[in-house]
Amino acid sequence: MKDAQAVRHCLDAVDYLVDDGMAMALFLALRLGRPLLLEGEPGVGKTAAAKALARALETPLIRLQCYEGLTAGEALYEWNYQRQLLAIRLAEAHHTRLTDADLFSAEYLQERPILRAVRHRGPVPPVLLIDEIDRADDEFEALLFEFLGEAGITIPELGTFTAAKPPVVVLTSNRSRELHDALRRRCLYHWIDFPEPARAVEIVRRAVSGATEPLIQTAVQFVGGVRGRELEKPPGMAETIDWVAALSVLGVAGLAADDVALTIGTIAKTPDDRAVVAAALGAYQESQL
Amino acid sequence: MSQGVLRGVDRAAFAVALAGRLRRAGVAAGLTDVDDFVRALAASPPDSMSSLYWTARICLVRRHADLAAFDRVFAAIFADPPPLPRPSRSASPPDAHDDVYVRVPADTDDSDSGGGLPWATLPPAVTETPAHDTALLLPERRPSALSGLADRPFDELDSAQVAQLGDALRAAVAGWPTRRTRRFAIGTTGARVALRPTIARARRTGWEPVEVVRERPVRRPRRVVLLCDVSESMRAQATAYLHLMRAFTVVADAEVFAFATTLTRLTVGLRHTSAAEAVAQASAAVTDRYGGTRIATNLRSLLTSHHADAVRGAVVVIGSDGWDSDPPDELAAVMARLSRRAYRIVWLNPRAGAPGFTPRVGGMAAALPYCDRMLPAGTFQDLLVVARQLQSVTCTDGRKWPTLTPAPRIIA
Repeated sequence: MKDAQAVRHCLDAVDYLVDDGMAMALFLALRLGRPLLLEGEPGVGKTAAAKALARALETPLIRLQCYEGLTAGEALYEWNYQRQLLAIRLAEAHHTRLTDADLFSAEYLQERPILRAVRHRGPVPPVLLIDEIDRADDEFEALLFEFLGEAGITIPELGTFTAAKPPVVVLTSNRSRELHDALRRRCLYHWIDFPEPARAVEIVRRAVSGATEPLIQTAVQFVGGVRGRELEKPPGMAETIDWVAALSVLGVAGLAADDVALTIGTIAKTPDDRAVVAAALGAYQESQL
Repeated sequence: MSQGVLRGVDRAAFAVALAGRLRRAGVAAGLTDVDDFVRALAASPPDSMSSLYWTARICLVRRHADLAAFDRVFAAIFADPPPLPRPSRSASPPDAHDDVYVRVPADTDDSDSGGGLPWATLPPAVTETPAHDTALLLPERRPSALSGLADRPFDELDSAQVAQLGDALRAAVAGWPTRRTRRFAIGTTGARVALRPTIARARRTGWEPVEVVRERPVRRPRRVVLLCDVSESMRAQATAYLHLMRAFTVVADAEVFAFATTLTRLTVGLRHTSAAEAVAQASAAVTDRYGGTRIATNLRSLLTSHHADAVRGAVVVIGSDGWDSDPPDELAAVMARLSRRAYRIVWLNPRAGAPGFTPRVGGMAAALPYCDRMLPAGTFQDLLVVARQLQSVTCTDGRKWPTLTPAPRIIA
């Protein structure tokens, strides 16, 4: 891809619409071979960006979902202890001697997502999605440094594996805690804002094929208005898409119908938010009468 | 499309100068970031202001908090470039420098006013070094609007000011101490070996416990129960105490009650996200507001209710002036019962801050022997002090049983 516009067209072809900033971020991540750290409110399409990029590049998406207590054994690599033990018992039965080098060879290595991304063989490097890195412990960030900096992994018993073509790495964070500066330094950074109304309408139109145009426009406008209120969890694009899908399944033509109040569970996810959104919807329906 | 907005510009010099500007504005733009930026400019020479903006932002900004400062600096440079030579702000006699060097606005250090193009690099830009002694001056400290408000009695404040101080209170409670519980959770720092997960993981390794999982004790916020008087004599303090209770409810999972003639539980209402909404809900829930006071009856009904367990091992905070229509010996009896069950009892008295205050009111005098502390709570400053004092009350300084002060201390 030669410039940001080309990235944009490729993503457009797989139904993921990006603005100038996102197109530039993905283009630079591809061109400079640097990891890309995406932050933004929940539901603005951080994870979807990586998925769309993998589809656009026609390359596998390797996903690593982070959680508290994630360790090297689940993210980088692990030794296949069972096979090692079997090998030892076999060797004992055959009265042969085994050395360390026999046991710690590539044969007994189990690849986990990051090592799989490094050792991927193919014309196009894979897309590695490290999702919600803020959920992992601080120590786990430090594990990633070598991989993010040099696209390599050192296994003490075997040596260093370095990727022939550095994989495209996308990290996402919901900012439930601050990431360390050392991690940020190794990545390009892009903050994703909620899309502007015109693009939001286009995104919903592509995602929900059955919905009518006026319904999409009023729903997007309404959600945009609700986001400005005091909410615990402002509805993102994912919630908007769910809502429009629910409304179109019910066959509702506009937001003035009675059934609409029953579907706000798709955009308001706590009791407090529910009350706020219901009040906003009531005010909207009043104004339409 | 033309060659781009940066045609004929030394990319490295431009990137370094822009990063310098950003650093002065408080954006942490390091050398790695500059390197990225230069390579990005080479990879795709920006053809419009928008693409230059995105390239710079993606490469030089690494955290969301810096975006506003970045936008400011970028706008100052590119939105309206001023004509080239501008008189430097610090127009000192040029005796310190050779005349060979021409001063250009590259480094005039007026980034806050936004002048100067950062890529004017030739002739060599030499400016006088900024006077370092000015940079080392301590910032002048003035009382903020908040601390000015904090000293005023509650009845002189309007609702917006009370809400503002409520936020300050919430920040003051934020470091509420935790206590060790008897439960354990998996944690790498733990000292104990967690048997069950270790065995579960050993399954993968042919029942050889290769990976040892550790566990550490779970810590919870020290329990705290707040009871606030909302009778007629406490009318001025009622809203402020609601904010104090909300702060503890949100931060420390406190159980909170308001009382005048009957006891009302406010824990659920005060947990609302919006402070105004929470206080409004709590005010609506209290039906006996600004009536008489029956402290002893209300404390007894707390101890007989199913919330009585919340008091066990908790810091109990009672906010009242001690005017009670129940007989004092009844209050003494129920306080004795409460003190046996609670970890500490702290009495907040809005009048205790007044000079020459002595607890002569019947109820107050009866309750005092059972209180660990009595603290003044007439202004927000007092409440902020209370929030800190309560944290020290819960602290045991490593002793299992802290020394109990036989007579309560009045801290004014």
